[in-house]
Amino acid sequence: MAGAAGARSVPMAVPPPCGASGATYSGGVPVQTAPDERVESAEQAAVADPWVTIVWNDPVNLMSYVTYVFETYFGHPHEKAEQLMRQVHVEGRAVVSTGSLEGMEVDVQAMHGFGLWATLQRSGV
Amino acid sequence: MRAFTEKHGLFVARLDATEREVVAALVADVAELLGADRFDDAPRPGGQGEPAGASTAPTAPVPTGPAAPVLRTEDVPPPEDPAVRRLLPDASRDDPAVAAEFRRLTEDDLRAGKVARLRVLWGLLTAPGGGRRHDGLSVSPAQAPDVAAALTDLRLVLAERLDVRTDEDAERLYDVLGDDDAPGRGPGTDVRRYLVALYGALSWLQESLVGLMLDHARHARGSGSSGRPTSGG
Repeated sequence: MAGAAGARSVPMAVPPPCGASGATYSGGVPVQTAPDERVESAEQAAVADPWVTIVWNDPVNLMSYVTYVFETYFGHPHEKAEQLMRQVHVEGRAVVSTGSLEGMEVDVQAMHGFGLWATLQRSGV
Repeated sequence: MRAFTEKHGLFVARLDATEREVVAALVADVAELLGADRFDDAPRPGGQGEPAGASTAPTAPVPTGPAAPVLRTEDVPPPEDPAVRRLLPDASRDDPAVAAEFRRLTEDDLRAGKVARLRVLWGLLTAPGGGRRHDGLSVSPAQAPDVAAALTDLRLVLAERLDVRTDEDAERLYDVLGDDDAPGRGPGTDVRRYLVALYGALSWLQESLVGLMLDHARHARGSGSSGRPTSGG
């Protein structure tokens, strides 16, 4: 499957630091790392969420319109929206969102409303 | 026909009476394909030469016909017409159960949404034209997404009728327009040339509108800050 660009890092659930509870703790201190803003929330959830929405290339939709949909519906910055649009155009398809089956049904329905050709499928298939 | 430009906060194109009629007829055709009553059965609002008010609010015909069932419990068969199936495509390529379930849950809403967006465009096309020549078609930024989506659906239907399946088909589409002396030209060729010209005009119109919409969306978001409008999940 041509997945979304970048590594699919899943943020580990980090327990909060013990603080001054008085308990002796000799292990390493868990460090709460700031989320990497470059990683899209959709990608973070890629492994945990079992379904993906795929937008397919078609010969009718304008590149500008597909970019507009990705910017306004998914809220992507325009560089990211254009990159996704090009991926659809060049590779024939792109994963545009990940999540639960119900969530992907909402996204696919929205894409069909816009006139884009979208499908949903299990992640990793 | 003139492409969309921004004037006083509105997106304004120019279509003369004939162009409006041609596009409005296509709008009515596509709405009918989606199961709506023909828009043009209702009395046509406005008319040529009427004074255009400052606000040209479209007087949309009142929807008629049976209400869609609130909740379907049985499967909805996929549309037989390939153009309608392109407007309401399968939501899965390899899992008929997923596609059927999606269709059962969403197809009525999708049809209604598409018809509603076509009706917005219909209202604009049949309202008196603005400007000195009464050929102005003004779209508010709030209406623009509906108009752009409706234009997409018109183009999807035309492309299906013109057998455009690949990017190569789309690139070759306009060859027919420069082919005046092509041998074997018949009535079919003339119809095709008409549809290709219409497809080209609508593509050009949509491109100009979407360009303005993108500018607006980017300005509205300021310095490129991201943020998902959807609640996620």
